[in-house]
Amino acid sequence: MRYLLRRFGHAVFLLVGVSLLAFTFTTLAPGNYFDEMRLNPQIAPETIAALRTQYELDRPLPIRYAHWVSSVLHGDMGFSFAYNSPVLPLLWVRARNTLLLTITAMLLAWGIALPLGIWSAEHLGRLPDRLLSLGTAALMVIPDLALALGFLVIAVKSGRFPTGGMVSLHFESLAFPGKLGDLFLHMALPITALVLSVLPLLLRHVRAALAEVLDAPFLLAAEGHGISRRTLLYRYALPAAANPLISLFGFSIGTLLSGSLLVEVVMSWPGLGPFLLEAILARDLYVVIGGVLLSTLFLIGGNFLADLLLYWADPRIRTEASV
Amino acid sequence: MRVKRAISGWLVLLVVLHATVIFAGFFSPYDPAEQDRKNPYLPPMRVHFVDARGRFHARPFVYSLRLHEGTFDQYEEDTSRPLPLKFLVRGASYHLLGLLPARLHLFGVQDERIYLLGSDSYGRDQLSRFLYGGQVSLLAGLLGAGVTLLVGLCVGAVAGYFGGWRDDLLMRLAELFLALPWLYLLFALRAFLPLAVSPLQAFYLIIAVLGAVGWARPARLVRGVVLSAKERDFVRAARGFGATDAYLLRRHILPEASSVLLTQAAILVPQFVLAEMTLSFLGLGVPEPVPSWGSLLSSLQQYSVLASYWWMYLPALIMLPFFLGYLGLGGELQQRREPYKIGKEPGGLR
Amino acid sequence: MKVSDNDKDMQPLVRVENLMKSYANRKITGQCEEVRAVDGVSFTIFPGATLAVVGESGSGKSTLALCLACLEKPTSGNIQFEGADISKLAEKERRTIRRKIQLIFQDPASSFNPRWSVLEIVAEPLALQGSLSRDEIRLRALALLEQVGLSPEMERRLPAELSGGQRQRLAIARALALEPSVLILDEALSALDCSTQAQIANLLVDLQSARDMTYLFISHDLAMAAHLADEIAVMNHGRIVEQGPPDKILKQPQTEITRELLAAVPRMTFARPEAQ
Repeated sequence: MRYLLRRFGHAVFLLVGVSLLAFTFTTLAPGNYFDEMRLNPQIAPETIAALRTQYELDRPLPIRYAHWVSSVLHGDMGFSFAYNSPVLPLLWVRARNTLLLTITAMLLAWGIALPLGIWSAEHLGRLPDRLLSLGTAALMVIPDLALALGFLVIAVKSGRFPTGGMVSLHFESLAFPGKLGDLFLHMALPITALVLSVLPLLLRHVRAALAEVLDAPFLLAAEGHGISRRTLLYRYALPAAANPLISLFGFSIGTLLSGSLLVEVVMSWPGLGPFLLEAILARDLYVVIGGVLLSTLFLIGGNFLADLLLYWADPRIRTEASV
Repeated sequence: MRVKRAISGWLVLLVVLHATVIFAGFFSPYDPAEQDRKNPYLPPMRVHFVDARGRFHARPFVYSLRLHEGTFDQYEEDTSRPLPLKFLVRGASYHLLGLLPARLHLFGVQDERIYLLGSDSYGRDQLSRFLYGGQVSLLAGLLGAGVTLLVGLCVGAVAGYFGGWRDDLLMRLAELFLALPWLYLLFALRAFLPLAVSPLQAFYLIIAVLGAVGWARPARLVRGVVLSAKERDFVRAARGFGATDAYLLRRHILPEASSVLLTQAAILVPQFVLAEMTLSFLGLGVPEPVPSWGSLLSSLQQYSVLASYWWMYLPALIMLPFFLGYLGLGGELQQRREPYKIGKEPGGLR
Repeated sequence: MKVSDNDKDMQPLVRVENLMKSYANRKITGQCEEVRAVDGVSFTIFPGATLAVVGESGSGKSTLALCLACLEKPTSGNIQFEGADISKLAEKERRTIRRKIQLIFQDPASSFNPRWSVLEIVAEPLALQGSLSRDEIRLRALALLEQVGLSPEMERRLPAELSGGQRQRLAIARALALEPSVLILDEALSALDCSTQAQIANLLVDLQSARDMTYLFISHDLAMAAHLADEIAVMNHGRIVEQGPPDKILKQPQTEITRELLAAVPRMTFARPEAQ
C-alpha cells in the first residue's frame, strides 16, 4: 500500500510542477491577448484596462497563481478570452473526443502488439519473424505526419471514408445503430493512423522482452516438465516479461496523446488538437494552459494505472511494501 | 565487423542525401521563391526517352504541359513540344553554401520551365522547394539535437557526478518534462513565444524550443552512464592518483557517455526534423516564403488540394530515405558493442 | 619477511580507531535502510609490515579499503596516517594524501580504462603529478613496466589484450608510480589462477623488501594471507572478530568464522612450510 501511496504522491507532485511551469511561462511570454486588442482601434483603452483588472493581469505572479490554483480546484480552469466563456466546459467537450480516439487506439494497438509480438518472439529469427521485423522497420521510417496525410489522400481518392470531422451532417437524423456506424466510419482513418504510428514501437519491445524471457532457464525447466507451449507463453513468459511492458504501457500513452494531437489537426477531428492550435494562434493562454494540464492529467493518470498494474503483476513490490 | 560495415553504409547514404540538400542551389533547377503565376498546380512532368512516334532519344526529354480543353485544372502533355533536358546549365543565381555566388544548375530546359515534382499554387517548383526546404528542416533537426544533447550532457554529468541535492533537483525537473506529452509541450512552449517573427528568428525559436523539449531523456541516460562510470575501479584509481573532478569527467567519465550520445543523436535528429515539420505544417514554424518540409505539406490541409493535386503529397515520400538513413544508423549504433567492453549499453525506451 | 616487533620507538604508519562507515540502502520500493559496512574497526600497521584483513565477501573489507585510501569518507572514527588524522580533511588535502596510499583492485580489468593503452595507463599517475615532461613520463613509465616484469613492447596494447597476471602486474606498476608508502591490495590475487597467484605474490614480496613498502592485504584466502602477512585480522559483519600473528590464527582459531575460513582453504596449500 505504501508503494501506491508514494506513486500517488509522485503523480500529484508532477501535476503541481507542470502547472507551476506552465504558469511561469505565461508571464515570461511577450505579448498577450490584450496587446493584440490594443492594436484594434475600435476597443477603447479604458475597456482594456477594466478587462485587465478583471482578469488580474496586473497582480503579482504568486497571487495570480494562488488564485488560479484555488479556482482550478473548484473546477474553474480560467476564462477563454476568445470564446468569452469558462475554459473547462470548452476543454471537456474536446478532451472527451481526444480520449475516445486515444483510448480506442491504445486498446487496439496493444491488442495487436501483444499476440503478434509473442508470436514473433516464439518464431525468433525465422522467416515470418523477419518479415514482421521488416514491416515494423518500414512503418517506423514513415513520419507520423506523412502517415496521417497519406491516409487522408487515400480517403479522398477512394471516396469511401469521410475526410474529416467526427460525425456526418445528417448524424442527428440517424437511428442509434446508424449513429454508431457513422461514428465508426469517421473514426476509422484517425484510429488506423494512430495505431500504425505506435505499433512498431510496441511490437519491437514486446518481441524483445518476450525473447529475453524465453531464453531464461526457468522456462526451459518448465518446458522440461511438459507444460504446453501455449500455457508456457501466456502463463509463464508473459508475466515474467510484464515489468518492462508495463513501463512501456505508460510511455505509449504519452506517445499516443502527442500523436493524436497531430492526427486530429490533420483529419480535423474535433479534439484537443485543433482547439489548442486555435488557442495558440489567438493567444488564448488559459485555454493553452488548461489543455496542457489536462493532457498531463491523462498521462499521469495512465502512468498511475501502469503503477497499479505493476503492483498487481510484480510480487516483489507487493512483498517489499508490506514489510 | 558486420556492424561497422553497416554503420558506414548508412553513413554514406546520409552523406549523399545531405549533400543534395546542402548543395540545393546546384541540384534544384530554380529559386524556391520564383513564381510562375501562369502555371499553378502543374502536375509532375514525366521524363521520356521515347517520343510519341516511338522514336528513341539518347537525351531524355519532357513534354511541355497544356490545359486540357474544356477544363481549368486538367493538364495534358503537348507532344508537339518536346523539351530536351540540358545538363549543367546556367540559370537562376544562387549562393553555394550561402557564400559563393553561382549560376550553374545540374539540369534545366530551354525557354520553358521544368517541374519534375509539379508546382504549387504560385507556380513555384516543388523540387526546388523540397531541396531548399530540406536545408531548413534538417538544419533545425541537427542543431536542435545538438542543443538538446549539449544540455542533456551537462545536466546529466552534474546530476550523476555530484549527486546529492543537485541530482534530486535536476532529475525531478527532468521527470516534469518527461511527464508532458512532447507535442503538447512543444505547443505550449511555442504558444508563449511571439507568433509573428522573421523567418530567421522563427528558426532560432524552433531550435530553442526543441532543445527545451528534448533535454530530459538524454540527461537521464547520461546520468546513468556517469553514475556507473564513476563507480568504476579505473575512475577510483585515477582519483587515487590525485585527479581532480574536472580531469575525471573529461578523461574518464564523459568519454563513456559518447556512444550513448551518438546513438541518441541518430534517434533525435529525425524526431526533431519531424517536430520542425509539424510546427511548420501547423503554421507555427518558419513562415513563408521560406520553404520547409512542413510548410511544403501544409497545403494538403485544404480539401481541394487533396482531391485534385495528389502530387503535393510527393515530398512526404521523397523525404523517407532521410528518415530511413537515420533510423538505420541509430539501430546499428544501438547494436554496436565495443569489442573490449563487457555488458550492455544502458538504453532508454526510444 | 619483516616482523612488526613492537619496537617501542617505532611509530605506527597507519592507526585506525573505531572506524565506522554506513550506507543508506534504497530498495525498489523507495524505503531507506541503513547498512553498516564497517562497524567500529581499530588496528595499527607499522612501516614495512603487512597486515592481512580476512573475511567473507560482504564482511566490509572493501569498504575499509576505500576509507583508508581516502576514496570514501568514514561516517565516524578516525584514520591516522604518519601521525595526522586524514579522515576529516577537505577534498583538496585528501587528494595529496591519496597519492601516498595506493589501492589495487580485485578485478584488474575494470581498474583500467578499456580505451587506453598500457603506456597511457602507467603514465596516468605521473602525468597527473604535473611536474614531469612528456619524455620523462615515458621513460619512467617504461622503467615501471620493467620493474614488475612486463616487457616494454607491450606499451601499445589494450588491457583487454593482456592476461590476468599481466594485468595485475600492470596495476602494481601503476600503483608504484607515485612511490606510495602504503599499498592496499583488495583481493588482488583472488581473480588469478594458482600459479599466477604465486608469481604475483612473489613479486609483492620482492617489491616489499626492495622498497620498504607497507601492505594492507585484503583477502578471503586465509592461506595466502598467512603466507604474506605479519599479522592477520579476521573480519565479520563489519567488525574485527579476531586478530593475531598467522601461526596463532591458523593453529588456534578462536571464532567460528575463522574456522569456516580455514575449512575453505584447500588442503594442498594448507600444508605450507612453517613460518620462515
